[in-house]
Amino acid sequence: MKPYLVGLDLAGRRVVVVGAGTVAQRRLPRLIAAGAEVLLVAPKATPAVEAMATAGELHWDVRGYADGDLEDAWYALACTSDPVINAAVAAEAQRRRVFCVRADDATGGSAVTAATGDHEGLLIGVLAGRRPRRSAAVRDALIDALRTGVVDDAPDAEDHVPTPGVALVGAGPGDPDLITVRGRRLLARADVVLADRLAPRELLDELGAHVTVIDAAKVPYGRAMAQEQINAQLIEHAKAGRFVVRLKGGDPYVFGRGFEEVLACTAAGVPVTVVPGITSAISVPAAVGIPVTHRAVAHEFVVVSGHVAPDDPTSLVDWPALGRLRGTLVLLMAVERIGVFADALVTHGRAPDTPVAVVADGTLRSERVVRSTLAEVAAAIAAEGIRPPAIVVIGPVVALGAP
Amino acid sequence: MTVHLVGAGPGDPELVTRRGAALLARAEHVVYDRPSMAEIVALAPVATRHCVGKQGAIPAPPQHEINALLVTLGRTGACVVRLKAGDPFVVSRGGEEAVALAHAGVEVDVVPGVSAAVAAPAAAGIPVMVRQLSRTLTVVAGNDDVDEVNWAAVAQLGGTVVLLTGRAALRRVVAALLTGGMPPDTPVAAISAANRPHQRTVRGTLAQPPSARLPAPLTVVIGQVAALDVTAGCAYPQPEPQ
Repeated sequence: MKPYLVGLDLAGRRVVVVGAGTVAQRRLPRLIAAGAEVLLVAPKATPAVEAMATAGELHWDVRGYADGDLEDAWYALACTSDPVINAAVAAEAQRRRVFCVRADDATGGSAVTAATGDHEGLLIGVLAGRRPRRSAAVRDALIDALRTGVVDDAPDAEDHVPTPGVALVGAGPGDPDLITVRGRRLLARADVVLADRLAPRELLDELGAHVTVIDAAKVPYGRAMAQEQINAQLIEHAKAGRFVVRLKGGDPYVFGRGFEEVLACTAAGVPVTVVPGITSAISVPAAVGIPVTHRAVAHEFVVVSGHVAPDDPTSLVDWPALGRLRGTLVLLMAVERIGVFADALVTHGRAPDTPVAVVADGTLRSERVVRSTLAEVAAAIAAEGIRPPAIVVIGPVVALGAP
Repeated sequence: MTVHLVGAGPGDPELVTRRGAALLARAEHVVYDRPSMAEIVALAPVATRHCVGKQGAIPAPPQHEINALLVTLGRTGACVVRLKAGDPFVVSRGGEEAVALAHAGVEVDVVPGVSAAVAAPAAAGIPVMVRQLSRTLTVVAGNDDVDEVNWAAVAQLGGTVVLLTGRAALRRVVAALLTGGMPPDTPVAAISAANRPHQRTVRGTLAQPPSARLPAPLTVVIGQVAALDVTAGCAYPQPEPQ
């Protein structure tokens, strides 16, 4: 058989299904969804098929097949476990010129069922000769790609082209598959992407050649002005009619200065939207088996940036209060000064033997973990040569994740 | 023999991760907690669905039964997704399930999710951290024993405090923070059903906190950022630069 792929309008048309086992159970929901008037002929049925009959979704004649059952049918499925009955159904279908699928022997019928999948009103059908696993695998991969935005199903459709503006998208902790479906989809539709150093490179590699990628770390005008320059670029491109994705590592609002960018866009009259991301403060510990909260072990966790030392006059973090908490403490950007932070915590009441884990390159293939205690962590990471970016987790939950 | 512990994110199916969506698309079994997760469960078209949460008047099975179900399914070798709201390891019993599976010799694959601690405030226009207003983010499990938390230290720390699944605990938490010295005019925002069509935000202060009688899941933000609303073009007071 060299099949011809077609879409049938079955609404209100009779479809006869013979047999009510697991094959019929898989085919029936789509026939019902297509609006077919389904006549099921079978002496017994699986509980799921029975439920469809009880719900009035199909008509079930509780008996065996008899010649003449295909009268008025537009389409037929022979899916009993008995090849003799299936052959009889196929023969009647042939005689009446009704297309018929034979479940036990594809070549014995006049039609074959495609592996089908739905995505937002798009219906995909795949036929792969007599290799159902191949067609199912291709179907799965296509649906996956559509759902996750790897394949853009509406590059030109007016209703899908983003209006000019800015989307702040959290790219997650590093692994390119840990961006959200919406984040990935917006990225696929960007004209301009302004990316952080911590945004996964692989996500940028997947972009089309027409997309302008700007490295936020290389925006000129020196450190003090960098944020203002980034804001200015977002606004400039959006006002020129482009859709701009500001791709940020982790979540845009967790140490991301996302709020400043949102304010700048709003003040300039540029529409802006925020797509949350997975913050590394939670996901990097999880990636090495450490839950930041755990019933009866840690009721709370605190996320703190370590870019300013505790004794620095510009520090706004109350380290004595942190030292008195007993839950989980996650320090970001703290690996270079870890000894100072550990000392401050111990001085203010945290036990020197509190477990500590330092995770470098979390969720990436290059991920490394050093486990230690508050008293010894500075020496431990120096010995291991751990460099930023790294996440520090402190508290009893660290011991839960011990291998 | 692997069970994938997948974070479902805050509620919107588009806020599932790429990996989470890919696993759901090929899952043969999905174990989930809330009937309200139906839209996300629908990403798993071919899976057998096991709802192990409270369904109407039917109470949720005890945790050990859920663990046993996961072990049984995991041992079949089928593709099993254990879907957890938000992130599997934040204010959730994902850790306990991971331990139970590991003890039974079933491999656990943890796929993080977007936590409501960050995403629910964002959906209400509240950035959890703003450089000038908040240098720390404290997330508290409202479904655990909140009296175990050193609230005086949390009050002193300030910054942003997020209470997850805190409907029952909100009044006690507010009282403890006031006792601990947090100013009574500290803004409080309660976000109900974040990232769902019936999302609602109610604002107040520690002295006059919003009612906890709002549809679950409820996320409460306490701190200066709780007065912000970027969705309203920042109609709420803007941060004072320090």
